[in-house]
Amino acid sequence: MSDLLRLPAEQTYALELEALARGDDANKPENWKLSPQSVLTYLLGGKAGDGTVISPKYVGRRRLMETAVATLATDRALLLLGVPGTAKSWVSEHLAAAITGDSTMLIQCTAGTDENQIRYGWNYAQLLAKGPSEEALVPTPLFRAMQDGKLCRLEELTRMGSDVQDTLITVLSEKMMPVAELNSAIYARRGFNVIATANNRDKGVNELSSALKRRFNVVVLPLPDDMDEEVAIVARRVSEMAVSLSLPVPKNVQEEISRVLTIFRELRAGATADGKTTLKTPSGSLSTAEAIATVVGGLSQAAWFNDGSLTAQELAANMVGAIIKDPVQDKAVLEEYLETVLKKRSGYSAYYAALNEAV
Amino acid sequence: MGKDASALDAVSFFGIRHHGPGSAASLVRALDEQKPVAVLIEGPADASALLPMLASPAMKPPVALLCYPEDDPSQASFWPFAEFSPEYQATLWAMANGVPVEFIDLPSTARFVEKPAKPTDASPPAETVETAAEMVETAAETAETAEAAAQEPEAPAAALPPALPPEFRDPVGVLAEAAGYEDGESWWADLIEQNPAPGPIFSAIADAMNALRADLAHLPEFEAKREAHMRLAIAAARKRHEGPLAVVCGAWHVPALQGAVAQKDDRALLKGLPRKKAAMTWAPWTMPRLAFAHGYGAGVDAPGWCAHVWHTRARRDGASRWLTRIAYILREKGHLVSTAALIEAERLALALAAIRSRPGAGFEELREAAVACLFGGEALLWKTIEDTLLLGNEVGEIPADAPLAPLIEDLQRHQKAARLKPEALERELAIDLRSESGLFRSTLLHRLLVLGVPWGRLLDKGGSRGTFRERWMLAWEPEYAVQLVEKLVYGATIEQAASAYLAEQLGQAAALDALAELIRTAITASLPVAASRGLALFEERAARSSNCPEMLAAIPPLADIVRYGDARVSASTSSSASTSGLGQLGVLLQRLIVEAAINLPHAARELDAEAAGEMTERISAAHAGIRLIEAPQDILEAWFRGLEAVLGDARATPRVAGRAAHILYEAEALAADEAVTLLERRLSPGTPVVDAAGFLEGFFSASAMRLAHDEGLRRAVDGWLTGLDEDDFTAHLPLLRRVFSGLDSMERKRLLAAALGRGPSLPAHLVPAPDGGAGWQAHLNILHPLLTGNNADG
Repeated sequence: MSDLLRLPAEQTYALELEALARGDDANKPENWKLSPQSVLTYLLGGKAGDGTVISPKYVGRRRLMETAVATLATDRALLLLGVPGTAKSWVSEHLAAAITGDSTMLIQCTAGTDENQIRYGWNYAQLLAKGPSEEALVPTPLFRAMQDGKLCRLEELTRMGSDVQDTLITVLSEKMMPVAELNSAIYARRGFNVIATANNRDKGVNELSSALKRRFNVVVLPLPDDMDEEVAIVARRVSEMAVSLSLPVPKNVQEEISRVLTIFRELRAGATADGKTTLKTPSGSLSTAEAIATVVGGLSQAAWFNDGSLTAQELAANMVGAIIKDPVQDKAVLEEYLETVLKKRSGYSAYYAALNEAV
Repeated sequence: MGKDASALDAVSFFGIRHHGPGSAASLVRALDEQKPVAVLIEGPADASALLPMLASPAMKPPVALLCYPEDDPSQASFWPFAEFSPEYQATLWAMANGVPVEFIDLPSTARFVEKPAKPTDASPPAETVETAAEMVETAAETAETAEAAAQEPEAPAAALPPALPPEFRDPVGVLAEAAGYEDGESWWADLIEQNPAPGPIFSAIADAMNALRADLAHLPEFEAKREAHMRLAIAAARKRHEGPLAVVCGAWHVPALQGAVAQKDDRALLKGLPRKKAAMTWAPWTMPRLAFAHGYGAGVDAPGWCAHVWHTRARRDGASRWLTRIAYILREKGHLVSTAALIEAERLALALAAIRSRPGAGFEELREAAVACLFGGEALLWKTIEDTLLLGNEVGEIPADAPLAPLIEDLQRHQKAARLKPEALERELAIDLRSESGLFRSTLLHRLLVLGVPWGRLLDKGGSRGTFRERWMLAWEPEYAVQLVEKLVYGATIEQAASAYLAEQLGQAAALDALAELIRTAITASLPVAASRGLALFEERAARSSNCPEMLAAIPPLADIVRYGDARVSASTSSSASTSGLGQLGVLLQRLIVEAAINLPHAARELDAEAAGEMTERISAAHAGIRLIEAPQDILEAWFRGLEAVLGDARATPRVAGRAAHILYEAEALAADEAVTLLERRLSPGTPVVDAAGFLEGFFSASAMRLAHDEGLRRAVDGWLTGLDEDDFTAHLPLLRRVFSGLDSMERKRLLAAALGRGPSLPAHLVPAPDGGAGWQAHLNILHPLLTGNNADG
């Protein structure tokens, strides 16, 4: 048992990867540890050649994963797009782990990321002592991935500035990176590729330039289709977080979660659960992650201000915060939803009243 | 028996996929190889005489063979043929090679059912559903029933009954699905890729069908009859023709047709088929109507893709061409798609095919590659081009010498029943909707209007709503017949065609108010299917739309329907569907009112003069509609809350706010003293004159007479007017004139009198002098000759 908080995927699932590699006799692209078919089995679950059970890493549509793996098998880069909480980084990590056995070539892109963190940096002591030289050069994960023929992961690509993003264009189209200071260049070995993730509904991000965009194949990861699945995810995360925050979890939390999720799902899907009424959608994403935050917020409020009993009252304030991101439009959307749907629905009168009050 | 079995060797059975381009291509090659002396095709045997016309150069598919009982076109069945239909290609091959070609399926008359209902009225809905379901089931394989044709996918009757197993409809598709394919054509293409000779493919398909049919417990009776008829027809053809025969039929039937069954048993099965006289002709068809989603039981999912497969059957660059087509459609919609992106998409499609262990990139691979490379991962974007790409919009043509179109025949029948003759000269016709015959005539004229045949022009349009009278001006123009032939694709009777055509227009209507008008049309023309589709669409759009002006404009027509709609319906025999539709509409309308009210404050903000004028009129019209339906209290309150919000919103356009205040005041939701306070505040010196004038106009332009009766209001307005300085007053004179222009001279006098505080008497300086009477007579004596030009001196 490791005393580390979390291990990378290739170590956590080392047994599964080994089993898959043993039974894998299909064609492999160069420098891939597994064949594309085995990568799919690793992601979606199934059985390895020797009968080892492979746990599913991604629960969702098979076709999306097929497109993702096929993309990496060509020399196009892969961009995973989706609202927060749709397992983008998770998929990216496992793809890298399965394909190259190394998911640690990671660059977290932020507004403060500059070119030196993408291309290469300098060890200034060496630079002063020896001038520009190979020894003074500090390679980035991207640099090393090119050298080793591995996958480089770029998290939240659109969070870094557009000018820095465009550094990637040469790397992606010509598979090389010039090092002007040394009058040389490094050329990517076969097997090198890039998996980027980005949030398609965020504000304050830097849009990809079309030059960069057309070097990516894009796979959009959707929110869970199935209500029960999502309720289970939320319930599990909520109880985990409640434990770590030392919040008491009342008995009715499951029911309230399913009510909150019903409202969230209906609003983000733009239709009631029975499919009979179409609705407008608010500008926020109302993802699974936000539902978790809402319920945890409600729990906290209940614990500190309401003797631990969780009611619509506590949840409503948090829900309004999640739903109304644009004070004018989203408010109208919510009001319309309250008046036309929630008002008449049995079991939701407390929510109708509490939300109406909170709006 | 034994002789029959050995003789069957000379007959080749080609089990095809209906409208499958892959099987069409294989079939043509197989025919070239086999060189049969006659081609037998699965199709109504009594229509064989029309087959040669199918190969005529003037015939441009998609076209459909149309058979109907002579006295009742509403029971028409259609057999559509596209360019890529194997049956069509087989016919072309036979005509080109000079061999006879025949249909061998049950005659079309066997599909007609006795219907007691009057042909012109909509039969009670329960029965319609039943017959339609039954007919779809029996005819599902090749023919499209008229019912199914007339209805859009949302209509319950058009959907295939769940009892019908999919292998009946598309057994090849079932095999493809079992092999993990979404698209039967891609599966077929891969199959050919692996087995290049056409002969083995058809025998492989026959084997597969044997397996599929093996666990079939019970063959529906109609299917059994069809197969019996085909067996007998093949045997008869064998007697007539020396040499090899080719039988082209749905793959599903091959095992049954190859099986040995005594002719005696087949004949026994075929006894007692209905013998009605059938009329038949060719009708132009459209590509979208070949699609399964458009209610055609034997349709394909994507006719556009089928056409593509057919056209590129001899090429290696099919995938590139398909992607290029996607790119063209995207570019037309204003998206930027580069050639490089197409190359990447094709490479991804090939990689996907490799991952799925398929020999080539098929429909699914190309779609997923296009989504990832061309659409930025947005599957929604694919939905927006799906119709253009997969359905296509080609319309077929038929030769001029094709038999007479059933729509014209149907019209003639209706004209007889309605005792209305088509005359070129204008003639006025008054109709009383309470009588059965009156309603029949009115419905006919309204339906023709829907079809773009304005034989009758409705006089006093709109004025007659809510009464039982309609006045029409009739005049027949020859080009109306042409219109009817063009509309044949929508259905074989006036009712079906009108319903389907209206349903299509409903699908295209974007704005809520346009949609509401179309729903009203559907209800007036008593087309319940179109009406309920319209309602469903309306509900969907209404929920998505936040366009308040549209919602407001949709309220009056819907209110009209709710209030007066059943005036037409109750008189007619069919009722339950329409009345339940009306009930649904009532709920929908109430929701619409609430939504409009919620969006009202936002929509009323910062409008320019023109928009403000439109908005005030829409609000008034909507309010009239709301009063018309006598909306329940909570809806009315929601509406008033919306108006109050406009009134309380500092950014609301003053003119709109004025109208809102007026409506509230009239409805007594605003107390008299509150109204006075409001008016005083809105017209107080602190308010810019422009705003105050706008508010005044909104408040009074519809009802200036209020001022004459209501002293409080009058004082407020009077105070504002007299307080204006001269320039402002002059500037707003036109506006003030507009406000008071609605009054006639009598009313103006009374208002003036009231304004001057004297009641009916005249103010002091206008009262005539005491001797005025006598003096006036003297003046008159002098004036009269001058005015009449009858000068005594002259």
